[in-house]
Amino acid sequence: MFLRRPQSRPILLKARVALVSALALVLCLQSAFASEPAEGEKLFALQVKPLLETKCVACHSSNLDEQEGGFDLTSREAFLRGGESFGKEVVHVGDAAASELMMLIGREYEGMEMPPKEAEKLTEEEIWAVRDWINAGAPWPDDARVAEIYAAHAEGVTMATSGGLSDAWTNRKYKPEDLWAFQPLQQEFPQLEGKTGNPIDAFIDQQLEERGIAPAPQADRLTLIRRVTLDLTGLPPTPKEIDQFLNDDRDDETAFAALVDRLLESPHYGEQWARHWLDVVRYADSSGYANDYERPNTWRYRDYVVRAFNDDKPYDRFVTEQLAGDELIAQTEAAGHSLSETEKAELQIAVGFLRMGPWEHTGMSVAKITRQLFLDDITDTVGQVFLGQALQCCRCHDHKFDPIPTRDFYSMQAIFATTQFAEVETTWLPRENLKGMKEDRGYHQQRHQINQQLLKSINTERQRLESEWFAAQGLPYKSRKEARKAGASEEEMPPTTLFGPQLYGQERIGRKWQNRFTWEFDRYKPVAFTVYNGKTRKPSANYNRIDMPADPLKQGELEQTAILGGGDPFSPTIPVKPDVLSAVPMTGEFPVPAEYAGRRSALAAWITSPDNPLSTRVVVNRIWSYHFGRGIAGNPNNFGATGKKPTHPELLDWLAAEFVRNDWSIKDLHRLILNSRVWKRDSLHPEAESLAELDPTSSSYAVFLPRRLEAEEIRDVMLAASGELNPELGGIPIRPDMNLEAALQPRMIMGTFAPSWVPNPLPEQRNRRSIYVHNLRGHRLPFMEIFNQPGSETSCELRDQSNITPQVFALMNGQEAYDRAVALAVRVSSETDSPEAAINRVYRLTFGRFPNDQEVELALDHWEQMTQVHRTTTVPAVEFPTKVVREAVDENTGEPFTFTEELVAYKDYVPDTQLSDVDIETRGLADVCLVLLNANEFIYVY
Amino acid sequence: MNPNTSYTGPMFARRDFLYSLTASLGPVAFSSMLAQAASEQNAKPSRVAHFPEAKAKHCIFLYMEGGPSHVDTFDPKPKLSELHMQEFQRNDERQSAMSSGKRYYVESPFKFAKHGESGADICDRWEHLPKVADELCFYRGCQVESVNHPTANYHVNTGNRFGGDPSIGAWVTYGLGSENADLPGFIVLPELAFPQGGAANWSNGYLPTALQGTPLRSKGSPILDIAPPAGVSRDHQRKNLDYLQEVNSRLASRHPEHADLAARMQNYELAFRMQTQVPEVLSLDNETQQTLDNYGIDQQPTDNFGRRCLLARKLVEKGVRFVQVYASTWDSHDYIAKAHGALIPTVDKPIAALIADLKERGLLDETLIVWMGEFGRTPDNGVRGGGLAYGRDHNPNAMTVWMAGGGCKAGHTIGATDELGATAVENVHHIRDFHVTLLRLLGLDDNKLTYYHAGRFKQLSQFGGQIISELIG
Repeated sequence: MFLRRPQSRPILLKARVALVSALALVLCLQSAFASEPAEGEKLFALQVKPLLETKCVACHSSNLDEQEGGFDLTSREAFLRGGESFGKEVVHVGDAAASELMMLIGREYEGMEMPPKEAEKLTEEEIWAVRDWINAGAPWPDDARVAEIYAAHAEGVTMATSGGLSDAWTNRKYKPEDLWAFQPLQQEFPQLEGKTGNPIDAFIDQQLEERGIAPAPQADRLTLIRRVTLDLTGLPPTPKEIDQFLNDDRDDETAFAALVDRLLESPHYGEQWARHWLDVVRYADSSGYANDYERPNTWRYRDYVVRAFNDDKPYDRFVTEQLAGDELIAQTEAAGHSLSETEKAELQIAVGFLRMGPWEHTGMSVAKITRQLFLDDITDTVGQVFLGQALQCCRCHDHKFDPIPTRDFYSMQAIFATTQFAEVETTWLPRENLKGMKEDRGYHQQRHQINQQLLKSINTERQRLESEWFAAQGLPYKSRKEARKAGASEEEMPPTTLFGPQLYGQERIGRKWQNRFTWEFDRYKPVAFTVYNGKTRKPSANYNRIDMPADPLKQGELEQTAILGGGDPFSPTIPVKPDVLSAVPMTGEFPVPAEYAGRRSALAAWITSPDNPLSTRVVVNRIWSYHFGRGIAGNPNNFGATGKKPTHPELLDWLAAEFVRNDWSIKDLHRLILNSRVWKRDSLHPEAESLAELDPTSSSYAVFLPRRLEAEEIRDVMLAASGELNPELGGIPIRPDMNLEAALQPRMIMGTFAPSWVPNPLPEQRNRRSIYVHNLRGHRLPFMEIFNQPGSETSCELRDQSNITPQVFALMNGQEAYDRAVALAVRVSSETDSPEAAINRVYRLTFGRFPNDQEVELALDHWEQMTQVHRTTTVPAVEFPTKVVREAVDENTGEPFTFTEELVAYKDYVPDTQLSDVDIETRGLADVCLVLLNANEFIYVY
Repeated sequence: MNPNTSYTGPMFARRDFLYSLTASLGPVAFSSMLAQAASEQNAKPSRVAHFPEAKAKHCIFLYMEGGPSHVDTFDPKPKLSELHMQEFQRNDERQSAMSSGKRYYVESPFKFAKHGESGADICDRWEHLPKVADELCFYRGCQVESVNHPTANYHVNTGNRFGGDPSIGAWVTYGLGSENADLPGFIVLPELAFPQGGAANWSNGYLPTALQGTPLRSKGSPILDIAPPAGVSRDHQRKNLDYLQEVNSRLASRHPEHADLAARMQNYELAFRMQTQVPEVLSLDNETQQTLDNYGIDQQPTDNFGRRCLLARKLVEKGVRFVQVYASTWDSHDYIAKAHGALIPTVDKPIAALIADLKERGLLDETLIVWMGEFGRTPDNGVRGGGLAYGRDHNPNAMTVWMAGGGCKAGHTIGATDELGATAVENVHHIRDFHVTLLRLLGLDDNKLTYYHAGRFKQLSQFGGQIISELIG
């Protein structure tokens, strides 16, 4: 049977649920009513027509604007007529060999390969289909007949959705394997019957057996403690922790399980795993684009995420708070429960998730467009983050590969159509770290005052120049203002060029900074970067806090979402109601209210429903991919037909089911994965060569894949090794040392320069974990960028690990690397009493192990050699600037001016220990340390 | 071993370290690595242009950041003199706050004349460019979408207004590779201040990291941290590198299957060589005084841009594939006479010298020069506080782009704008078509130069475009 629904209107929710619950995937059975089609007709309906539609008619339609080479492929008549190049030669009915079309699709004519895109070239089977169809007389049945034949004869399965823009899309069939993510979760796992131990091992080992691959042995304890500590906390194990684990006389499994439990209780666990989530949501502390304004106080969202992981906040709750925290407040209160100010603030902060993307509205922006940018962005982001579906394709058309009609894109978008931005003052939370805020405010106040002073002196100068000018003209005025008041004519006004470029340029910077600095005082107030539901107000380009209106329905327009033609906000077509994706099979009902409030909670309820096969698979796959460096499904943000298929689909389903059974506990999931034998495998396989043959894509999990430390981990692990790391949690963003040239390099923002990067003055303020670094979209730490920290424009599913020369420059030559090496040398010198012991200590702090005799000898030799070098050379201490002079061309006059920026916090700057601060031997040892911090064994985790 | 780093593109082999290492490992080591990579990915090991007959092998992209005014440079509009100061009102929900409200027309303060045999329109502030007028191919039909600088910069540089995608230079280097193993294939010569939108303007996007444009900073260290701290000698570094080699050897022998280990160590050696080579390349010591004079080096106001133009020529000679040179800032909202009047002489002489120099060296044919900004400017201005200031706002609907060398249609002016210069009306093409044409001139087919990412094959033009055949010689 083949379920079909009326196409002319979006289907009602109830009907949809009924259909869906009746089983979404309906295998196509041959219809008894269709008269048996001829072979040529079948070829056309099943193969040729779909080809024409997906690969040809976009450029060869009957519409003259979309008709390349005068060739129209929308009807048989037009097709036989041919185009400008070949005319009737294009096809000889019944004789494919004589038809030029075959040459075109066979890509025989250079420059006329069809379709032009290499990635879309026809497969051999597709070319044969066209050939056979021409030979069969090139029949061209009408749409109704095609639909009939397609329904009766096409292979694959149909998928019930809210309906596409065409019937052909709505009724199209999919390869079942492309719909894997939309299948209900498998609940029965016969392969586990009779098996003991960790089910992950059972699933993985079963496939290994089938493929005839023997797994690597379990890794040793030393390898495991480094691996698991870095995995869960992003920090290395201390020598003491290593000793404890190595000397734990319980059996390996018990000892390791206890270690995992200990690490999961470490507050640093939350920091490390929040970092992964922040990649997915594109966290940054600024808006990006032209102004790159700081966003007070997105760090509160960052800390919310850290707390959520540390508290093992159930994932369903975590999702709901981020999508609908504000609605939760309203609903709880409406239900007669009261929430404390703290509880409310937490929820307002959480929902800041919706605003994590780059966004700005300037005087040069068009309001409807910037609003649409937000709507498109959040729709796509929610799709990728929670559902593993990149939805942006559906902005302009029904999805080419996945069962997502453009209608669904806009129905999802309608959920956010009443979501509005606001920055509201809440209360500080008891768990928020406010340390350092007062000092930071002090420096900010100074910057602000200096800038105000500048503006004041410019004003004085302006008055002087103006009054002089009026005097010279013999006019009775003192200022332009006065002259205007007195009704002076344009000719009696001083020219606007009266100011030289110096004053003009400085004033421009001063004014921009005045605005920025004033707004930035919000940093020190408990502002939450949040949303509310209501009408869409006209955005102002006043670069300032967006207030929450007293009545969210008073001003503006209540948006009515419609499918947008070509994605253009000025071209609305069919109106849609807020709704969730229609192709997802669910057992329950998830009505999304049409009222302006409550839409996002409904979305959250749907996403966090235990039987939502997308969201549950997506989250367990994400967690898995951070543990193994790859997902069971290889594209954690794309579970569609074009994403990589799961290598172990049953395991993925079992994990999802287990995750829900464990009340959405992420920590339980970590335990399950980390305690498996699979995760504890050695990264070295005894038969590496034959493994490479049997498993060329490393999909078997026969060995553990080593990984390079990620950008933030490299910095944190260096600080931990050198003993400089201040492990304090949370709070306002920190500003570590940035390569000085990059820090002071002028950076353009709208109409002026951005203020320079000035580090926190004290080492203990700077040397904190990298997750706390002030992450400005337009001015990231070069160190992080070169080690593949993702940009914060789009959701990052998994980081790259590239190997490029700037990494060498940063780690071998960079000031920060030297600082760490010196600190490490100083540390081990003070903690040990012999050169051998010092080398032992360095090895333990960097690689986590003792060096062998030969390594000790090598290190001692190098130490001695470098000490000799240092006897004859001096590495001078770095000088830190307290001001920077900017030379610029004023964009209005085209003339140069200079501007001096006072780097206030540098006046109190205490540098990290420098080479020149320590004795010659320690300098030599610092070179040994520098090399070990550059070593592969330091940077890779096995 | 992160699967995300693997190449899935159709053109060539896998992980990006290959780029930084190409040939620097010595032919044997490299070819064996490549063979391994090729067999893994079943990809072609060498990069051959899709259109071998294309002349351009290199590109020097002169990026006039801020949006130069076409009507005050290369697209004369006498009609504006008639309308000068005439006021009008514009209200349209498709317009920004800035371009709405009370406005007035502004004539160009500059005089225009026809130059060369081709009769190219060039305003009188350009004194040197007319000498090479017949080498230029002006295009007046290009349109973009964004009116904000960073998004417009991203659009011109990457084909995507929102940034995050690979830039043209990254695509071209991906397609053609680099001819010099010790230098990046894509080099950017920015102003001291990076343009709005920052380094994302020369991003590798989803292409391998090694394809990212390497900015050679115009002051201080050309590449961040390329030099060790003061006092650390080359010998000092060599000793540290030798020790590193020894330290690394234990792990390498334990994990022969882990190819990253050797690659990373090789990268240290490459970096060590680059430390001496980059300053050599940057040095202008071997240039004749005549050359320096031609480019306006050690003269004002040309020194800054002239140095970078000369450097661009040197880099192209060294085999660098794509060089982008920035000149800022053309964002003349007010006082166009002074602002553009001062800016044009900073780039005029260096650009004319660059074209002449390449020609003299027989390199102009194989080097495509592109001159453009992120958009054009409006024929009208808004009335803002402080009186009328004769400037222009941003205009995505009309601009002038010109090219020279590299097989472009020199000596022609293609396309036209309306009588005010408000919008392109003849041979009108979206920037994506210009991108496709640019690639075509460099021998690359936008439809073949694709990379599989996030579920589809992506390309510079985003969804494909059309070659503007009139621009090809």
